Amino acid sequence: MIRYIYDMSFEGLMTAIYEAHYRIKKPDEIIGENNLQKSIFDEDIFIEPDQLKAEKVINAVEEKISKEALENIFYAFLSEIEGCGTLIYNYIKLGWKLGAKLHLHLSDDRVLKIHSIRQKVLLERHRILGLIRFKHIEKQIYYAAFEPDYNILCLISKHFERRLADQNFIIHDVKRNHAALYNKKQLILTEFSLTEHPTLSEDEKDYQKYWKEYFQSICIKERINPKLQRGYMPHRYWKYLTEKQLGL
Amino acid sequence: MHIQSKLKILSQAAKYDVSCSSSGSTRNNKDKGLGNANVSGICHSWSDDGRCISLLKILMTNFCVYNCAYCVNRVTNDIERATLSPDEICEITINFYRRNYIEGLFLSSAVFINPDNTMELLLRTIKKLRIVHNFNGYIHLKAIPGSNPQLIKEAGLYADRMSVNIELPTNDGLKLLAPQKNKESILKPMALITSQIGETALASPDSKYRSKFLPAGQTTQLIVGATPDHDLNILTLSENLYKHFKLKRVYYSAYIPVSQNPNLPSIQGPPLRREHRLYQADWLLRFYGFKARELLNPKYPNFDIELDPKSDWALKNLNCFPIEINTADYKMLIRVPGIGIRSANKIVSARKICSLNHENLKKFGIVLKRARHFITCQGRFYGEPHLNEKIIRQLILPGSPKLKEDKPGIQQLSIFSYLNDLSTRVTGEL
Repeated sequence: MIRYIYDMSFEGLMTAIYEAHYRIKKPDEIIGENNLQKSIFDEDIFIEPDQLKAEKVINAVEEKISKEALENIFYAFLSEIEGCGTLIYNYIKLGWKLGAKLHLHLSDDRVLKIHSIRQKVLLERHRILGLIRFKHIEKQIYYAAFEPDYNILCLISKHFERRLADQNFIIHDVKRNHAALYNKKQLILTEFSLTEHPTLSEDEKDYQKYWKEYFQSICIKERINPKLQRGYMPHRYWKYLTEKQLGL
Repeated sequence: MHIQSKLKILSQAAKYDVSCSSSGSTRNNKDKGLGNANVSGICHSWSDDGRCISLLKILMTNFCVYNCAYCVNRVTNDIERATLSPDEICEITINFYRRNYIEGLFLSSAVFINPDNTMELLLRTIKKLRIVHNFNGYIHLKAIPGSNPQLIKEAGLYADRMSVNIELPTNDGLKLLAPQKNKESILKPMALITSQIGETALASPDSKYRSKFLPAGQTTQLIVGATPDHDLNILTLSENLYKHFKLKRVYYSAYIPVSQNPNLPSIQGPPLRREHRLYQADWLLRFYGFKARELLNPKYPNFDIELDPKSDWALKNLNCFPIEINTADYKMLIRVPGIGIRSANKIVSARKICSLNHENLKKFGIVLKRARHFITCQGRFYGEPHLNEKIIRQLILPGSPKLKEDKPGIQQLSIFSYLNDLSTRVTGEL
């Protein structure tokens, strides 16, 4: 099997798709280098990311297929789901044939699969918009840590820039070691890690206490329903929820 | 009193108000201030009862002059009382908001001294949030029935949504349980808000400016199970409220016994299942094009507790089915049990390209356990050979065995099974 390997970046993936179109040796799979398992039966070709080639693919998808298709590709890329490189490749190949009507072909698994990934990524994005918890730390900064299933930091940071326009904040994806930083003027996404826990500000503990108190007292005891609660707010997100930490 | 104790008392007093949504407003962040609204609304947490927490839902005070039998805050009830000042409310709201605990504030109050005085304090609080603190997050404000219309009109310029709770669906219920209130005093502020929203819309037809007065409209709440009213009464009332008062939502709250009163029913627990059925029916009214009269009638004035309203309707109207997935109208598709708005949209898109089969539907996430009795795909029928209400009801009830592949029951409808069906009808066998 011929496999194209890209460097995990979106640019790299798009370059691989460009090369797949023009090279004679077509790939059977397109895989990110971190997900690669070496095998003697496969011929691996590493593709150097190339901005110009990537842009050509991006523009072509938008013009020859649709803007929606480009979005779908990006969401599928962010999902980091195993095999998403190959999925995207096959989706785009189909798109070259079908053009703007690609999104109607839900009876084709290649399209349906991409749509369902898009749905999952957007669901997590929406959930996380609510479940992010900031802590007020030293130097007037609000710090939030989280570990999303999908790489959605770039999909949520704008929301908080618009909303919390008058406060400094850090949104830290602990799993992927990157963060969105905002200083009331500029928002940047960057590599980021912390060596120790940040120091909390004076008022932080009080408000955590108030919030936990509120969380308890708003619940109607006669209606307790943990299954319903977990359905909306899966257990894997509790680690960073202030209201789910023990102790008042 | 410490702020934490006040928060405890006043959020406990507010928890029976079920409205929590933060949707419908497009308020922007102004001059790099704090907050904005998100048009689809955002839930920030779910409490242990599974209800979403979107807003800081709190009473300004639980000191009340009224004595409504169904309410915890009635004057004769011996409970701890507290009051939060406008400044305290602003501070908690803003600090919760900065930590992304909440989407905004839902401020309500017991009637303290008199309606005007209460409404005036509520208004002062939200004005402070908007003007002094430049807070642009979501605000849901309760309109106090019987207060000066001028106050309500002004409040509408600062809040995103307002609500007046009807609570009891009929005037008889009010007389019995809330003798100091009457239907007129409740409907008057609702009508005022409706007309005010309409006027602003007319005055500035440009949708950009339309949102000045209560961009997220108004809502109300009905208590279910405190009075002997049927579901039909409740649903018809909701239908009228949507139609005539242009309400965004009607909330239903299962009655939870909070006091012993000879006028109140004695019940084991809150009628949660009934509440759930009403919500399902409410969705059918708002998004699926159903009328209250189609779902219920004087002969069947209450919902089937075991079965969802759409399936129940379909079973009572078997003469409309089965419909062919590849040709049926969208309006009819969404009436099929097991097909929702999302799957109907998928069907409508996909069938433009090619004719759909049973396998496609499965992949679209359609609940075939229910849907298969009401549809054909490319002329093939996958339901039971006898289109019989009782049999299908048994098969689609929650908890009945899941649909398995190659089950003998799944077979093509042939001329023989049709004959078979006819013969049982003739002989009366089942």
